[in-house]
Amino acid sequence: MRTVPLRYRAAALLAVAVGLLWVAPALSQETVVVRAKLIQGEVPTDPAAPIWNTIAATEFPMSPQVHWQKRIGSVTAKSVKVRGVHNNKQIAFMVEYADPTQDPADAAALEFMVGDKKAHFAHGQPMGQVEGGPVNIWYWRNDTPAAADMSAQGFGTLKKQAQQDVQAKAVWKDEKTKVTFKERKLSLRKDPKGEVVKDPQTGNPIVDEDTKVAEQEVSGVWRVVFTRALTTTDKEDVQIQPGTFPNVAFAVWDGKKLESGDLKEAGSQKAVSSWWYINAEPPPDYSIYLYGLIAVVLAAGVEFVIIRKVKKGQPA
Amino acid sequence: MRGPSLAVKGGILLAAVFVALKFVLPLLTAPLPMSLIYLYLFLTIIGIVVYGTLSGESTEALLGPIFRFLSGEGIGGAVKSARLAVLVLFPLLVGWQTYGGLAPNTQPPAESRTIHPAPPGEFVGLSNPLPNTPENVMMGTGLYAAYCLPCHGPKFNGNGAASDGFNPPPANFADPGTIAMLQESYLFWRIKKGGVGLSVEGHPWKSAMPRWEVELSDDQIWKIIMAEYAGAGQKPRTWE
Ligand code: HEC
Repeated sequence: MRTVPLRYRAAALLAVAVGLLWVAPALSQETVVVRAKLIQGEVPTDPAAPIWNTIAATEFPMSPQVHWQKRIGSVTAKSVKVRGVHNNKQIAFMVEYADPTQDPADAAALEFMVGDKKAHFAHGQPMGQVEGGPVNIWYWRNDTPAAADMSAQGFGTLKKQAQQDVQAKAVWKDEKTKVTFKERKLSLRKDPKGEVVKDPQTGNPIVDEDTKVAEQEVSGVWRVVFTRALTTTDKEDVQIQPGTFPNVAFAVWDGKKLESGDLKEAGSQKAVSSWWYINAEPPPDYSIYLYGLIAVVLAAGVEFVIIRKVKKGQPA
Repeated sequence: MRGPSLAVKGGILLAAVFVALKFVLPLLTAPLPMSLIYLYLFLTIIGIVVYGTLSGESTEALLGPIFRFLSGEGIGGAVKSARLAVLVLFPLLVGWQTYGGLAPNTQPPAESRTIHPAPPGEFVGLSNPLPNTPENVMMGTGLYAAYCLPCHGPKFNGNGAASDGFNPPPANFADPGTIAMLQESYLFWRIKKGGVGLSVEGHPWKSAMPRWEVELSDDQIWKIIMAEYAGAGQKPRTWE
């Protein structure tokens, strides 16, 4: 057998490497987009519908709301897992998160930008140099059977819209679930003798930080399904076109009653995220394959003609 | 011994330019759009052709191998198989590019945000009116702990307990790319006006950085600035 020359082997290796670079992003775990899969038939309004088991979730970390007053130091929901499906008419999102107790004031919300103007994720608060737009908030609360379709443009402007277009249905289950979150531990640095080490410049004790991604098993899961038409007649609503990437943000409230009688989380004291994306899967467009095929045929034709010309023009 | 012909050298140059623009450049800075990469490749080809057709001899050196390769005459062995591969792959590549150009985007739009857009004029060249005394730094550190630590963290590295849900994440002051390359005046603007005070290139709608003028006085902000530099072990940039 003939050995393959080194430079061809090198070229093959290079081709494989380039190919891998190309497909790698497609294989990585989704972290920024909720992909609403296109399905046939009705979208599921029930969190228990079996179709949800076939949809991959995107998990978004949540922060305690410390961006504006009134703040909160720590929250129950460390992350939300979000799934989506649509059928070209209706879209459904399922927000799933761990909450050990089921309380009347438990609540969750999705937030979207409305129209072409960018809106700040904190209730569309005004921006100094940029003219912002309003936000549309889909809100569910355990003790209110209907979801609320709301609007805001700035703190203190949140209101229920005249036209209500959103439905929600939620189920709490006493089952175990895994949540991943960053665990941070601070400790005073000690020398081998057990003495606290001080910064030679400031004289302050040196604090060491240990951060790791932890997985915790929690009992108690909320699954909240929001449904709405992809597009509505209401100017105050987000309009969702398949194939586009509208922004989305999340909020969750643990409405557990504390001994003081106050709710653990309520109002601005909640778990929040900033903007991420949704994408309603566009319907398959087979004409693209056709155009691709036409391009192949055309390129092959051009190639053929060129070779003919070259062969003719060259002394044999 | 003759070196590789001009055609081969040109091909290698073209491949090198492509790999550099498509794969190496993104490691250093924002990736280039494909259309721009094609433009550069096109310019490279023009360059090669111009260089190759300067004289009759170099024209033959450039075109001869290409013609022979295309016609398949006078070549053999591995080059022959390579020719076959090229002839088959080229139409497929064109088809794939056409498909790729028409297929719907599966990734969200690349939104590259300018981390340090220019500040408004009124915030240029201000200097810290307070002396850098241990007391002021200590008071600033206390304010930092109360207001900034949940996001920017006890180690000033952006790793606060409340940082995880925010995209972009809170700035890491220990990183030489943040406050060490900024003047105190710039920080004063950023802290006072917050994320919503950024210009459009800074994507203010995404920033969780609060607008602290609502809650903190100017003096408090200046003290926090001193504490931030001290805590992160950095010095403000000055123009000497
Ligand atoms: C809610 C979380 C949060 C809190 C609380 C917060 N920040 Fe920030 N901060 C951010 C985020 C997110 C960014 C990055 C986005 C941006 O530049 O706007 C940032 C950016 C900054 C920057 C810009 C650094 C650079 O390189 O451009 C400065 C300075 C800053 N913060 C100072 C402070 C100070 C001082 C406080 C306390 C008074 C504070 N921050 C409190 C979230 C926070």
